Amino acid sequence: MTIVIRHIIRFLIIGLLQVLIFNQIEVPWGVQFMPYPLFIFLLPIELGVVYLLLIAFGFGMFIDALSDTFGLHTSALLAFAYFKPMFFKLFSPRDGYESSVENSYSDLGLGWLIRTYGLLLLIHHFWFFMMESFKVNDILFTLQKTALSFVASFILSMVLQFLLISKSSKE
Amino acid sequence: MRNFLAFIRRFRILLVFAFLQAIVLSTYFTFKEFPRSQYLTSASEINGRILTARNEVTKHFNLAKNNRNLQKENIRLRNKLPQSFTRLENGLVKIEDTLFQQQYEYVPATLIKSTHTKRNNYFTLDVGKAQGVDRGMGVFSDKGIIGVIHYSSEHFSVVKSVLTENINIDVMIEGSGQFGLLKWNGHDPRKGTMWGVSNDSDVKLWSKVVARGGGGIFPRGLTIGKVSAKKPVEGEPLWDIEVMYSEDYRSVQRVYVIKNLLKKEQEELEARIPADPIE
Repeated sequence: MTIVIRHIIRFLIIGLLQVLIFNQIEVPWGVQFMPYPLFIFLLPIELGVVYLLLIAFGFGMFIDALSDTFGLHTSALLAFAYFKPMFFKLFSPRDGYESSVENSYSDLGLGWLIRTYGLLLLIHHFWFFMMESFKVNDILFTLQKTALSFVASFILSMVLQFLLISKSSKE
Repeated sequence: MRNFLAFIRRFRILLVFAFLQAIVLSTYFTFKEFPRSQYLTSASEINGRILTARNEVTKHFNLAKNNRNLQKENIRLRNKLPQSFTRLENGLVKIEDTLFQQQYEYVPATLIKSTHTKRNNYFTLDVGKAQGVDRGMGVFSDKGIIGVIHYSSEHFSVVKSVLTENINIDVMIEGSGQFGLLKWNGHDPRKGTMWGVSNDSDVKLWSKVVARGGGGIFPRGLTIGKVSAKKPVEGEPLWDIEVMYSEDYRSVQRVYVIKNLLKKEQEELEARIPADPIE
């Protein structure tokens, strides 16, 4: 039960931070701060993929409704959720995952986190900006936006992750 | 049948993924093109309230600058008042004017949410149907055009801003009168593109670009910006004209919504144009 409450709290914290703060930071060169896929990433490993997709759908709609993007965030987040189990399998530790661990730096190490979360976030960002412009002749600008936003979001996600996990393990 | 069920079970995840994607992307693309679905926007009541609460905090950040702008506008308007003119000829009596009929009415509003870095930027206003604001009305600030009302609820409205791909405002170059459509390429919030000016016409740099008033949305002559560069379009006999916006969309807050009192009349008249037989 506590694990459900913990994730609901994360839903609200990450969702509201994204909508009320990160969406408002406006930087030139097409940089957007989008660390919100962290919520999907932190969901337990043993959760079924269909549930994962449905949660991603709900969370994405929450973000979309408050940022006037009409489903763009949800679409990218669904891609993130869809690829998550595959990447977890691909980069699994030698003995597999223990059911008690959090998908975080403290439990699984920085190298693992950069590989899995980094690649998933890159897919998310690329999907997002491709769908946003939806033009092949803007590809260079899309790639520029993807790369710059990816770096910004990744750093921000790491900070958020340190804050959220240390808080929840104390409880 | 069993094979079919087995197939569904095997590709269950992919099917759920595809199904949800279909829902989301169809919403996204219909919304991008036309305001058909009306949920999921910041004009809905709850979201509007959250954004109003946020604006209560953030509106003070630019207070000094906004006050300065309002003051400038006040001075400009005050200059037009009869009290600011000395009377040159005595004995004139002002009678009720029947030569002029008011065509445009303005509703003051505040932008409670705006972006400028996305491909298509939508702004949210704190006025809605209760104040008589409805879809298709123009929005402008003291420096230039902001956009067109896209959808409005009881107390909030979403503006399709000048910073969207197909805003297509009817504009013309002041003086020479060449007209075209305003578009935005998504790169720089200070610059837009004017499309449709034939390249055999002479376009002077830094001439003013104003609204043409064609659609009955904006009064003729409302400022948009200045021509800052022009280059020929490859393969078409047109100029690619870069327009430097006079308004800085990154910090605009106080705006006005335009109600065209004669719009219905204009629309009725234009509806009588017979359809082109060639098309």
